[in-house]
Amino acid sequence: MNLKFKNKKISGILTILPAHEVSFEQEMGNYNFPPAKSLKLKLAMGYNKHRIVEGNVCASDLCVFGLEYLFNKCFLKKDEIDALILITQSPDYFMPPTSNVIQGRLGLNQDVFCLDINQGCAGFEIGLIESFFLLEQESVNKVVLLNADVMSRKVSKRDRNSFPLIGDGASVTIVEKTDRDLAIYANLKMDGTQSDALIIPAGGFRLPSSPETAVMREDENGNFRSKDNLVMKGDAIFNFVQTEVPPMIARLVEFAGVRMEAIDYFIFHQPNKFMLHKLADKMKVNHEKMPSNIVESFGNASGVTVPTAITFNLGSRLLEKDYKICFAGFGVGLTWSSILMNVGPLGFCEMIDYK
Amino acid sequence: MDQFYGKVAEILEVNEVRDGDVLKDFEAWDSLTILSIIAMADSDYKVTLSAKDLDNIKTVGDLKTYFENHEK
Repeated sequence: MNLKFKNKKISGILTILPAHEVSFEQEMGNYNFPPAKSLKLKLAMGYNKHRIVEGNVCASDLCVFGLEYLFNKCFLKKDEIDALILITQSPDYFMPPTSNVIQGRLGLNQDVFCLDINQGCAGFEIGLIESFFLLEQESVNKVVLLNADVMSRKVSKRDRNSFPLIGDGASVTIVEKTDRDLAIYANLKMDGTQSDALIIPAGGFRLPSSPETAVMREDENGNFRSKDNLVMKGDAIFNFVQTEVPPMIARLVEFAGVRMEAIDYFIFHQPNKFMLHKLADKMKVNHEKMPSNIVESFGNASGVTVPTAITFNLGSRLLEKDYKICFAGFGVGLTWSSILMNVGPLGFCEMIDYK
Repeated sequence: MDQFYGKVAEILEVNEVRDGDVLKDFEAWDSLTILSIIAMADSDYKVTLSAKDLDNIKTVGDLKTYFENHEK
């Protein structure tokens, strides 16, 4: 699906990452592999350290922390918020929606449109698209887009396929109307036939959690996980990304009538360095234009990796300048989505630690 | 196809490989090697190779034949 928007902008981005940091070496003993093999994987995939929550910190905790920071710094006023969109796959509860919980914790007014969206890797793009849809309404002028996940709590510590790269975090992105007429182009696709490529099999209604689903089992690669844990088919996802993402970007730039060279940055979802380098090479994009450094420093916090890639790599530069940025997210669903838009100058663009 | 043997040897962390060498017998054969071969299939031969496909390929020679038959 192709979408076009105008007179909308991102006016600020804040990313909130847990202060608690663990290195790959500290966790290596949990895996069933000789240290030499693990270190080889670390080098190739770009694993290093990741930020993960301790105890039962929830998505709403990270979001409330971030929003209170913005209120205290006068970057955002409570009564200016028209909509609160939360993109998460690790909600506080099955019900009520976590965006309602956040609205209640912050004492926002009852007219705020609260919405939880279950999306992950393409969560930032889907969240922006939803924000743009809402801003088409006359009464919606400022949308607070939250991306938040605490997925480390669902990944087995003995799963070397997934645990080294997982991260936790949240982001707050303010999306609002603008008089600037610059067009925003977006596209998205879904393929539910491969919905098992990235899945937590138990805990929902299809297979409720039980003592049986909690049993840790070894897979054919030597990783241990239970049905309550996340499981990822690495090769299927790699092939999906290599096959689908380059044509998606090609369609987007054609739709926008823009040349690839005119794009300043490709801020893509950060599954791991290996995959992003292969993708950049296939698309013939310079590695400098496609940052791939988030997993090695912070881990992959699902939809939060794209805003983190912005605050970490572009930071204060976005306070002064505007850049033509191509966002893309791809993964769970399967879902893949991209957006081409100008970003900046922003009112704020920073990273803070959740303690 | 000329650089095939050199690239495979590099991924398998050996000096050279021959058609008869059994892939799973290499010391370096692990999930990362599998992913590297999948990446090589895609970038050099435009072949989509899954881990399951690779599981059914026995030797270096079989891999070469697979690429030749599926190359775009």
